Amino acid sequence: MFPIINIGLIAIQAAGLILLLSLFIGLWLVGQFANKIGTAGEVIENCLLISLAAGILSARIGFMLQNPSLFLDNPLSLFSLTPSMFNPGFGLLIGALITLILAQKQYLPLWPTLDTLSPLILWVFAGFHLSNYAKGTAYGLPTQLPWGIQLWQAIRHPVQLYAVILASGLFLWLLIQTKALSKTGFIHSGVLFNLVLLSLAMSTIITRAFVAQKILFGKLDIPQLVGFLIVPCTLLLIYDINHKNRRQRSVLIGIGSNINPAHNIPEAIDEINRNFRIRRKSGIYRTEAVKKTAEGSHYWNLVVEIGTRLPFPELLSQLKSIEQQFGRQPGNDAHVPLDLDILTFNGDVFNYQGKAIPDPDMIKYRYIVQPLADMSPEFRHPADGRSIAKILEKIEDHSQIDKISEVQNGITG
Amino acid sequence: MKKGHFIGISAAIVTMSLVWILLTPVLFPANASQLDTIAPHAGFMAPDFTLSSPEEEMQSLSDYRGKPVLVFLWASWCSVCKRAMPGLQSVYEDYAVKGFEILAVNTTFQDTLTTAINTFQSEGYTYQLLLDRKGSVAQAYRLYALPTAILVGSDGRVLDVVIGSGISEGYLRSRLDDIFEGSK
Repeated sequence: MFPIINIGLIAIQAAGLILLLSLFIGLWLVGQFANKIGTAGEVIENCLLISLAAGILSARIGFMLQNPSLFLDNPLSLFSLTPSMFNPGFGLLIGALITLILAQKQYLPLWPTLDTLSPLILWVFAGFHLSNYAKGTAYGLPTQLPWGIQLWQAIRHPVQLYAVILASGLFLWLLIQTKALSKTGFIHSGVLFNLVLLSLAMSTIITRAFVAQKILFGKLDIPQLVGFLIVPCTLLLIYDINHKNRRQRSVLIGIGSNINPAHNIPEAIDEINRNFRIRRKSGIYRTEAVKKTAEGSHYWNLVVEIGTRLPFPELLSQLKSIEQQFGRQPGNDAHVPLDLDILTFNGDVFNYQGKAIPDPDMIKYRYIVQPLADMSPEFRHPADGRSIAKILEKIEDHSQIDKISEVQNGITG
Repeated sequence: MKKGHFIGISAAIVTMSLVWILLTPVLFPANASQLDTIAPHAGFMAPDFTLSSPEEEMQSLSDYRGKPVLVFLWASWCSVCKRAMPGLQSVYEDYAVKGFEILAVNTTFQDTLTTAINTFQSEGYTYQLLLDRKGSVAQAYRLYALPTAILVGSDGRVLDVVIGSGISEGYLRSRLDDIFEGSK
């Protein structure tokens, strides 16, 4: 227990400091993670900071509403820094509501955004328990185990540290799983977040047993019961996300060719349609080659949306083999009879063997954005929620691009 | 992971969690024996003490059993303490009639006796000043920083420990409203 940290002459409440630090480190890690996997880190961080401020203010307002006479006597106390005058429940409610509203307004995609929050959730969980340790609250039952700590007239389970250790182990797992928050491997969006939530619920269920002062509902501990509600929910969600076999997943593919495109492009469309079901396709566009080394003078490009039940790695290798059928040689970027790029996969955000999904080229090159805008004007970027109109507006690629065929109800002329 | 594996593992996780939750009250029951434990933390019995007032009158915390008491540890050199004390006076004036008491324990062992008494009396505070000359109360209450305020319920049990400026008038009034409403 260490309620106060003395830095020179300044005495700082350790619990508050730990909570703040864990919050800021967590937020910083969210930014790092978001940058690496392509979600809207800055937008997410801003939403969280605004909600945090709103939550703190509402916690104070909630307290004042409960005790209106205090507020009438001394209106300025609304802004005093006193940490004891809060209604945390009200603050949480309003903070969560504001987060929801802001996320909706920014069209932040649900699962990729929540995945990005995983490091923050782990840090705040660990910070909360470490701050309890600092204050000596939520202390453990007496024990004879050798690692018991002296607290409140007994040798007790350092139960707050059990939770911190479990959360740290989870964070380590997250770091390993994501190669230091940079890659995810092929994983459907939402799985990471639900795994983290599941593990924290399990940690709570396990560690609460050793807490001395339980919050009881009958004979059962309420935090354990809440954890028990979360466990099956997260398991069901993980199951649903991973085994959505009932319906096909929507995949956007960018098709390009600079060698005999007038022949190769229609052939490729037919080939794809034989292997998968093409749901929609854009018109065909002709572009100057982006890379000067290209052999053909022009590229033909289009975007199609297909439905498939294949997992990403299988789909990728199948598309590669179609490319090879058309004479594509791996490593030769100048001579491109056919190029098939997976642009988005089921609205998931991940990074598989160096390939980021959604494809970062999708927001960089006009030869992808323009056909995509053509085909689905309602499209929003799966990672950050930006509309296709906005992407087109911000694009830095100003190369000449001409439409050479219209979309004709699925069949191009 | 195969579908069947996943369902099997999930069922195992849910079952094990449920078993653990149901076993918790049996294996690790909430600690009833701590009811009599004396410690300066919410939920425990407040450590008792006997100190003298400036008039050399001995007073004990246990004398006030049956009334909610705020033990307020302060020193005359502590500016945060001095900023909090007028607020305490205002609360005391309103709630003393209901039975609320404040024991302003001066940490005399690390203060100057005359300055402490002068500071207190010049402000006209009417709640009880006590002098911790040997630091025994500071030790019993694990004093980390000043001010430290310990709210003790009428049963002698610690309700809350507030370190620093958190012991504001607003906080105290709302706690006392709860206490006196609860005892009606």
